[in-house]
Amino acid sequence: MLGQVVISGLLAGALYAMVALGLGLIFGVMRVLNVSHGPLLMLGAYTTFWLFQRFGLNPYLSLLVSMPLLFLVGMALQRLFVRRVVDAPELSSLLLTFGISIALVNVAQFAFTADLRSVEYLTGSFVWGPFAFSKSRVIACVFAILITTGAFLFLQKTRLGKAVRAVSQSREVAQVCGINVGRIHMIAFGIGTALAAAGGSLVAVMVAIQPEMGQVYTFKSFLVIVLGGAGNYPGALVGGLLLGLIEQVSSLFLTTQVNEAVAYVLLVLVLLVRPTGLLKGRAS
Amino acid sequence: MKRELLAAFCLLLLVLALYPLQGTGYGVRFMLQLFMWITLAQSWNLISGLTGYVSFGHIAFFGIGAYTAGILIVKLGWPWLLASLAGGVGAMVLALVIGWPCLRLKGPYFAIAMLGLNEVLRVAVSYFEGLTGGGSGLSLPALYAAVPIYYAMGLVALAVTVLAYIIVTSRFGLRLMTIREDEVAAEAMGIDTFRYKLYAFLLSAVGPGIVGGLAARDQSYIEPISVFPLIMTITMIVMVLFGGKGTIWGPVLGAVLLFTLQEMIWARFIYLHQLLFGAIIVAVVLLMPRGILGVLQQKYNLPRTI
Repeated sequence: MLGQVVISGLLAGALYAMVALGLGLIFGVMRVLNVSHGPLLMLGAYTTFWLFQRFGLNPYLSLLVSMPLLFLVGMALQRLFVRRVVDAPELSSLLLTFGISIALVNVAQFAFTADLRSVEYLTGSFVWGPFAFSKSRVIACVFAILITTGAFLFLQKTRLGKAVRAVSQSREVAQVCGINVGRIHMIAFGIGTALAAAGGSLVAVMVAIQPEMGQVYTFKSFLVIVLGGAGNYPGALVGGLLLGLIEQVSSLFLTTQVNEAVAYVLLVLVLLVRPTGLLKGRAS
Repeated sequence: MKRELLAAFCLLLLVLALYPLQGTGYGVRFMLQLFMWITLAQSWNLISGLTGYVSFGHIAFFGIGAYTAGILIVKLGWPWLLASLAGGVGAMVLALVIGWPCLRLKGPYFAIAMLGLNEVLRVAVSYFEGLTGGGSGLSLPALYAAVPIYYAMGLVALAVTVLAYIIVTSRFGLRLMTIREDEVAAEAMGIDTFRYKLYAFLLSAVGPGIVGGLAARDQSYIEPISVFPLIMTITMIVMVLFGGKGTIWGPVLGAVLLFTLQEMIWARFIYLHQLLFGAIIVAVVLLMPRGILGVLQQKYNLPRTI
């Protein structure tokens, strides 16, 4: 029983880690908490749904469409709106991205209706000894690991990735070194959004798709980056896996309704006890 | 000039006091909800407008007030006015419990903590079904009291605005604004920043607590999602921002304009309501972050106590 729970937790956690890495990247580079992260994930899920519905495209192949598409959407949002509040107090960016968030949800309700949609692609479970895991979750986890690894390789190895990390460490020094900070901000927002879109495409196969599906991922991503330490990218991985585990384990003891609050209680507790995160993050 | 303004203000109060004698049922309900929004916006302004600490879950105090009053009315048969005042006390107690630890957090972390706490409260209220009725809500005994509630709401809105005036013109207010501008410098000058933040937080919780109780009585039915919605926190913030953050009349102006706009225009565009609201938020943040009064203050060199 416990083994099953632990593995389910890790499966879910890998997905949380990927989505939260996107939010953490945006926060680390721009100090902007993007409240519209979840609704952007929802757009990724709808992209997968429509490609599957209209063209019968394999939902996992649709990652190749949803990620670049939302990358562009993210760049556009940054260029048009977020860019103007990067240096403003946090109230401005919180409110601005909240405004974008409700607008996106409303547009989705209008364009796609509030009907529950689903991508019926992969059903059934892998059975391995005493454990059974739904196929879609296992595959989602595999893709999440691949994409997260890709993002880390990008951050560690490429020149552009190094520039992104440099800007998140110190914007002024990066600028002095000849890095175009405005461009890096735009790219970081695009990549963050693409990671959210990947999360959307992967959960599209597992859960019901509807315009308000995203918000819960915004909160969970907040929690993950707080757990891992804001501005600490490997911390997002630890935080994600930890959140997945805690949710699954607590679901053994608590009703679904109360379990919903576990994430929030944890969020507040961690903020109070270790505002810099469980791993050492950057203090505000 | 000052005397004329005061006379005009007293005249306005007189008109508002006499309004229920002439007004329609709809008009009275409209006005009492407007008073509620003025109280909420002004209260948020007390903590966030003056100290710069963004309370992103301020509606929690409204919700706790609504439930305190609702339970006292239903279970113990308290009169609604007393129960609403108890709602204000309940909100203050909550503010003490939340503020003691959370006001040590800085910047976005305080905002996230408040957001999280509001959600925790919502779930907690749903969980204790015996007391709160859980997710199916709490029904109050039927009572038609729109006019008395109108006066009560109006008095609370007036009281909170007078409180804002007293604070902004006092040394206490100056200390709060120093914290907003530079907390480290404030500490270096010998201001016990934590204590003053906590006082401001407590004062900002009373109003929402009382109007929460009054709103519960007015609507006769409360449920967790109707009294702890994030969107109401956002609405009060946008009202303050629109009118002018950190000013005395800004929140009042913002509440009047935005609430009227909401009632007159948005009601006709039900399907696009959220999109319009989102657009207004984006526009206010990008185009006039100082708010109407903030802009006027700068342009015409008006006093801080506007």
